Parts: sequence; structure tokens; C-alpha cells
Amino acid sequence: MMKDPFEAALEEQNLETPPESPIHADDEEIINVQPLAEADDYDGDSNLSFPPHASSSVRPSDSTPVVGSGGTGRGKEEEEEEDEEENMDVDMRRVPSGDPDKMAKMKEILSRFTDDQMSRYESFRRSGFQKANMKRLLIGITGTQKISLPMTIAVSGIAKMFVGELIETARIIMTERKENGPIRPCHIRESYRRLKLEGKVPRRSVQRLFR
Amino acid sequence: MHGSSATGGASKSRAGPSQPTDASLKRKRGFFQKDLQHMMYGFGDDHNPLPETVSLVEDIVIEYVTDLVHKAQDIAPKRGKLLTEDFLFLIRKDLPKLHRCTELLSMNEELKQARKAFEVDEEKIANAE
Repeated sequence: MMKDPFEAALEEQNLETPPESPIHADDEEIINVQPLAEADDYDGDSNLSFPPHASSSVRPSDSTPVVGSGGTGRGKEEEEEEDEEENMDVDMRRVPSGDPDKMAKMKEILSRFTDDQMSRYESFRRSGFQKANMKRLLIGITGTQKISLPMTIAVSGIAKMFVGELIETARIIMTERKENGPIRPCHIRESYRRLKLEGKVPRRSVQRLFR
Repeated sequence: MHGSSATGGASKSRAGPSQPTDASLKRKRGFFQKDLQHMMYGFGDDHNPLPETVSLVEDIVIEYVTDLVHKAQDIAPKRGKLLTEDFLFLIRKDLPKLHRCTELLSMNEELKQARKAFEVDEEKIANAE
């Protein structure tokens, strides 16, 4: 029975290896808790330093000031790569950014992750909006239009990156205010306000009245 | 100060009568909660994000998607829903999102092709037996 490749890929991602080097990566990717100077920065800095490394090694377009959008670039894509049904295509997709250098950097970085970082990175990669839910939402918004699957995928990807921008801006705000702990709604609201100012949030040209 | 919790319902109420709106409003509570919790953790929040934060983010995301879709509908001439409208919108602002979308879509295409080829192979094997 043909399984949904996305689901199959999600299940396969129980291995904590970077998807570009699927099978034998376990030998190389011993997650050392090495006393690197950088490791301390990671732990103390509420993971703010984490996205820049991900984005610098992966994204070809790092132009935006919001760091997260670059880092999320490889979010769902790797899940699909691990689908072993498409063996003939695996080689193509194993080089997502088309750059073995970046992949090598990525592997290097991943091998230095602490457990905490690894778990967070895993969540980052594997999380996503369920296609069924997103489809239902889209149908609810548009009325009765038929929503194609690619459209759902695109919107889910866009929404996930938007969440990334929200959360990371909120973290930046928390560092500015020197606060710790879980993110609170006030941070999100401030983050949302800033994103609006930056023009990253679509605004209706006609003011919404009578809320 | 805009309460973003109201906007999810407001956009629906313009679309149709009030009763189905209330029902769909109720459906939208906690709609993406589980997914969002993992996502927020992945992006830098605590292991267990605060529920009010998750609710707020969910409301914001629903509003974001709603506005995005409405804007796309405004741009597009009156025809069936197309993907390209979303792109056109994002091109102007957000290069990373645009690249990400193109990646996702081309991956989906590849998967579709590969899946088709896989099915054809299966048939061949079945027929050969």
C-alpha cells in the first residue's frame, strides 16, 4: 500500500542524523558535548545564535535581516528527501542547496550540537501545519473553492516561516528587555507590531471596520 | 489596540450568515495547537510554550493566512484559485519565503513524478507475473 511520502519521511526521521547523509551517518555524527567556547554561547543565549549558523550554511539568499526565514529554508524539504521509494531521485535531492561545502558545514555544525539543541533542531525540521487542517482553513477562507495540494503545501510553508519570524523577533525583544523564560503574549504582540512595520505582514488596503 | 483574536471570526462573518460562522469560529480554537507547540519550540520558545502564547500565535497565523488569501484573491482575476498569485504577492517582499515556496513545490513535483514512475513499475511487475 502506498504510503504518503510525507508521512513515511516523517517516520524515518526518527534517526537523529542530518538527512543528507542518511544511512551511515551515525558513525560520523557522534554528538559531542565538547567544551567549545561556542557551545557556551549557544546555551546561554536562548538559541539566538543558532539560526545564523543554519542560515549561513544553507540559504543562498541571506539578505533579510530576520534571521529565521533563512534558517527555516530547509524545514520540510529534508523530510521529503528521506522517502526511500524514490531511490532514483535521492541523489538529486541529497544536495538540497546544490553545494557540498554547505552540506559539509551543516554536518559539522550538527555534530557539535548538544542534546538540547538537537531536540530543538529536530522540532524545527519536523514541525509543520497538517495539510488537512490547512486545507480546511483555506477552504473556509475562500468559500467553496477547491484547494489544490500544492497550494496547501505552499501556504503551509509560508505560514511556518512566518511563525519563525514571529518567534525569533519575540526572542530578540526578550533579550532587549532582558527577560527570560517562556515567551509571553506581550512579546508576541510587540513582535507582530514590528513585523507589521517592516511590511512583512500582508495588510488589507481597506481598513477592516466593525470587528 | 486591535484584538487579533476577533479577526479570525470577523473575516468569516463577511463571507456568510452568522450561524455557520459561529460554528467555524469554534472550530478554529485550538486548531493548530499541537503543531504550533512543536513549531514554537523549534524556533526558540520554551519546551512548553505558554498556552496563551500559543493561542495568540495561532490567531495571528490564521489572520495572516486569511489576509494573504484575500490579497491573492484581490490580485487574481475571477478564475479558479492559482498558486502563482501567492508568489506574485511574496516576490515583492520576501525572498527567503519565495525561495522556500519554489523549493517545496518543485520537491512536490518530483515526488509526484517519482510516485507515478513507481506505480508504473509496480504494474509492470504485476503484469509480468
